[in-house]
Amino acid sequence: MTKAILVIEDHEDNRRIIRDLLTSAGYEIIETKSAGEGVTAAEKHRPALILMDIQLPDFDGYEATRRIKANPSLCQIPIIAVTSYALSGDEVKAFEAGCDAYVTKPFSPRALLTKIREFLP
Amino acid sequence: MQNAPSSKIAPEVNSISRRFSYTLIGVITILLIVFAATVIFFDINRIESEINRRLDNAIEFAQNSLPTPLWNLDYVVVNDFVDALFLDESIVYTKISWEDKVITEKVRPGFQVQKLETILPSTLFKGSIYISKSSDIQFKENKVSTILIVMSRESLRKKALLQIYGIIALSIIIIGAIWFTSIFITKRYISSPLLKLQESASSIAHGDLDTIVDKSSNDEIGLLAKHLDIMRGSIKGLFSKLKESKEKLEEYSRTLEHKVEARTRELARSVEELEALGEISQTVNTTLDLETVLTSIVRHAVQLSKADAGTIYEFDETEQVFVPRTNYGLSDEFIQAMRESKQRVGDKTVLGQSAEKRLPEQIPDLVNAPDYPISYMKQTDFRALLAVPLLRKDRHIGGLVVRRKVAGEFTDSIVNLLQTFAAQSVIAIHNARLFHEIEDKGREIEIANKHKSEFLANMSHELRTPLNAILGYTELIIDNIYGDVPEKIQEVLERVEKNGRHLLNLINDVLDLSKIEAGRLTLSLNEYSMDDIIQTVFTSVEALAAEKNLDLNVKIRGVLNTGKGDEQRIAQVILNLLGNAIKFTEQGKIEVEATISNESFLVSITDTGPGLSEPDQKRIFEEFRQADGSSTRVKGGTGLGLSISKKIVEMHGGRIWVDSNLGKGSTFSFTLPIRVEMQMELK
Repeated sequence: MTKAILVIEDHEDNRRIIRDLLTSAGYEIIETKSAGEGVTAAEKHRPALILMDIQLPDFDGYEATRRIKANPSLCQIPIIAVTSYALSGDEVKAFEAGCDAYVTKPFSPRALLTKIREFLP
Repeated sequence: MQNAPSSKIAPEVNSISRRFSYTLIGVITILLIVFAATVIFFDINRIESEINRRLDNAIEFAQNSLPTPLWNLDYVVVNDFVDALFLDESIVYTKISWEDKVITEKVRPGFQVQKLETILPSTLFKGSIYISKSSDIQFKENKVSTILIVMSRESLRKKALLQIYGIIALSIIIIGAIWFTSIFITKRYISSPLLKLQESASSIAHGDLDTIVDKSSNDEIGLLAKHLDIMRGSIKGLFSKLKESKEKLEEYSRTLEHKVEARTRELARSVEELEALGEISQTVNTTLDLETVLTSIVRHAVQLSKADAGTIYEFDETEQVFVPRTNYGLSDEFIQAMRESKQRVGDKTVLGQSAEKRLPEQIPDLVNAPDYPISYMKQTDFRALLAVPLLRKDRHIGGLVVRRKVAGEFTDSIVNLLQTFAAQSVIAIHNARLFHEIEDKGREIEIANKHKSEFLANMSHELRTPLNAILGYTELIIDNIYGDVPEKIQEVLERVEKNGRHLLNLINDVLDLSKIEAGRLTLSLNEYSMDDIIQTVFTSVEALAAEKNLDLNVKIRGVLNTGKGDEQRIAQVILNLLGNAIKFTEQGKIEVEATISNESFLVSITDTGPGLSEPDQKRIFEEFRQADGSSTRVKGGTGLGLSISKKIVEMHGGRIWVDSNLGKGSTFSFTLPIRVEMQMELK
């Protein structure tokens, strides 16, 4: 299993930032722009970790997380939710959906990298 | 007054005649007794002297007659002489003696000689009934014998007594006669007339003013009777005057009663009107439902004006017609007909005319107005109509019309009353219009406010996305992800990042606040540990405090029970307060204290910072407030943190406040009910 990280994020700049950050940190990344694509990609590539945006065009990140976690072969993959700002109450929902951790948007690339390294040392 | 107690007086009266006769008889009796006593006294004296005279005569007679016979001793003659003496019945004993030798002696039978010795000088009724006298009989200077004669007063006394009895008897007869006469006279001339007079007076006193007073006698009583009659006449006159006055008074009081009754009715009516007005104005002031108010007004208007039906019309300004708004006492057909006929200002109807003239208008009898333009009115039995215009600042609002089945003018008081009702109707309609306007405005404002909040929420979200990218790239550049960056550029980029973060915080706070204000923030109430929250927050700011060399410590007093509330929000509040304390304190220490008091957590954050002036303490929790406007720029922060904290605490049912002395630091405290089961509604 490679140390590939699946990034499910619809916003281009965010994808680019994550890509630039993680590539420079030596991770391989798989990018998808929607929840549906993300779930498919997870099944197909079985990444080491998933960065899950919550606001996505087709269905939201919670639903995508539930689907992935519902799959026994995928349920071990840690999922870090990238939630909106604290007051939205997204974190609770994220944990309820099965996420293992969360970073709030706007994320600091440094903080994000720190969080990823907790799961992928 | 008429039943004077004269009848009671009568039996107590002492008859004048009796009193008069008693007095008279007393006086006369005394006089008679005195007279009789005097007569008897003189009579006794006379009798006494008579006896003495007769005794002296007898002695003298003896002295003259006896010397010779005695000298001659001719005792026959002496005896004859003694017999002759005894012809006087009073002489009871005669003795002629010489020395101790009795010459002759004669005793009347019944007289005892032995008693002679006891005969003492006496008077007729005192002492002995006997009187004696002795004398010497001389013949030529020679004593020849002694004669003793005893006389009895008996017969004389009898005679005297007889005289006294006679006098007494006469006195009694005289007294009786006088008594009888006096009684008769007083009765006849004084008592009876007086009694009659008294009866007349009593009758008069009893109110019989036509009593005939007997004034036939021409004496004082007759005079009295005349005066009594005059008095009766006067009283009669007075009585008739009194009666007249009384009748007048009664008449007057009857009139007064009528007046009072009329006035009472008027007052009752006024009270009724006032009550109706009171009820209406209360309705106007308490009910914004125009229908209720107008129904009340039209009902009272009809009832108080003694009419049978009424309508309040509202003036439709766009159509320029009167629309019937509220009716009372009208059939559905009538109302339907009324709706179809469109009345305008200036129409020849009472409503149109009153609107044009801006004055009340009435038709006392429709029979006299055959040209009345409302055709359906002819199918009804309404006879009299009255319309009062509803005006506000000279603009037509509508009209109040009452209809009556009895012909006749509506009085001024009714017209005035209906004008008052019309004024109330105007107020009610105006109030209702204003209320609707306000309601509409309120709704608009509410919608606008919601739009604002939603706009802000969306706006801040939209602002954040590009900012996110800016901050992300900046950080990557600073971290040399894209290659080495010269130190000068690095420094500038750090400033870019710092400002970007400030902007981000601002946007986040605005987002929070607008969410709270839009009512879109829902607390997620779960169990939490206050110790853990404080520890987490402490950990996250420890580095910041260390950077400024501030002494940061936490004091937990007692055991903090497990709480229930929104953990994240509570953490946000503590973070905000602690963040502020670190931000504004340059040196000294910051202390977080937590305890339980009155079923609530009490958390205080005390710093040794600049402190707050009193006005600032009051304003500090308002939006976009900091102690000093300039400090926002120097210290960073949005000025929304405390405002958001206050709202979060209040949503939990807690309270937040600050104690501070300028220059000596501040203590921000908040309470939080330990277990919050329900989110509080914010004011």
